[in-house]
Amino acid sequence: MTKGTRNKRMQNRPSGFANPWFQLGFGVVCVLVYELLQKRGASETANLSQVWSWTGITALVSPLIWLAMALMIVSLLSWLYVLRYIPLSIAFPLSRVVDVLIPLSCWLILGENISSRRWCGIALVVVGLLLTARPVAQLEEKL
Amino acid sequence: MRWPVFFLIPIALIAFVAGQLFLKHAMESSAVRGFRDAQVILFLGCGILSMTIHFFVTLGLLGHLDLSYVYPFQGLSVIIISLAAAVVLKEKLSFRLTLGALLISAGIMLVSMS
Repeated sequence: MTKGTRNKRMQNRPSGFANPWFQLGFGVVCVLVYELLQKRGASETANLSQVWSWTGITALVSPLIWLAMALMIVSLLSWLYVLRYIPLSIAFPLSRVVDVLIPLSCWLILGENISSRRWCGIALVVVGLLLTARPVAQLEEKL
Repeated sequence: MRWPVFFLIPIALIAFVAGQLFLKHAMESSAVRGFRDAQVILFLGCGILSMTIHFFVTLGLLGHLDLSYVYPFQGLSVIIISLAAAVVLKEKLSFRLTLGALLISAGIMLVSMS
């Protein structure tokens, strides 16, 4: 795939909901929500059966888990759509913003603790994301 | 630590990186050739197969090791995918993007180690 074709496709990219940058963010939100739903659903159903609990099958009783699975599929489709337009070396690092959002949500919503080492990791990821996002902003200005 | 772990961790990582590269190549080609093209279907299939291998190898590893031991290795995927995209898919990788990917990888490794 030549650079010219790639740039041309980015110039003609759809807008609104179909905009690839919007889809990248939408996919990240889907992953974040399904991880939290999975945790909630798995915790709620962990003690339903002593024999089957280790397999995770008992979690299927929870509607939260079914919602999580639906969001998992949506996030995969959204990711495939993103790959059609955005270079992998930009889209993949940016998609890892979820590794910052998950511990922060667990801290805010589920009341889990964040160690000082984890805070340092979160800070490193944020700086890395800012470095990656800057060329994207410049690229968008040019288009 | 048992010896299969030394093989399974890199296998999971390689399968994930290869899966993303296959999917990216398939989706780029699909924009030009459409989804009925044999090459697009082949690359899409290889991508899904690689991601499935990654999924099951990771599940197997998690059965024997703590998440805080397995997940930091997944953090490495950010820098490896960025470099592989530059080499295999001929994407332009600036110094700033490389540094960004390195920091994200290091950050994920710190976040996931408890």
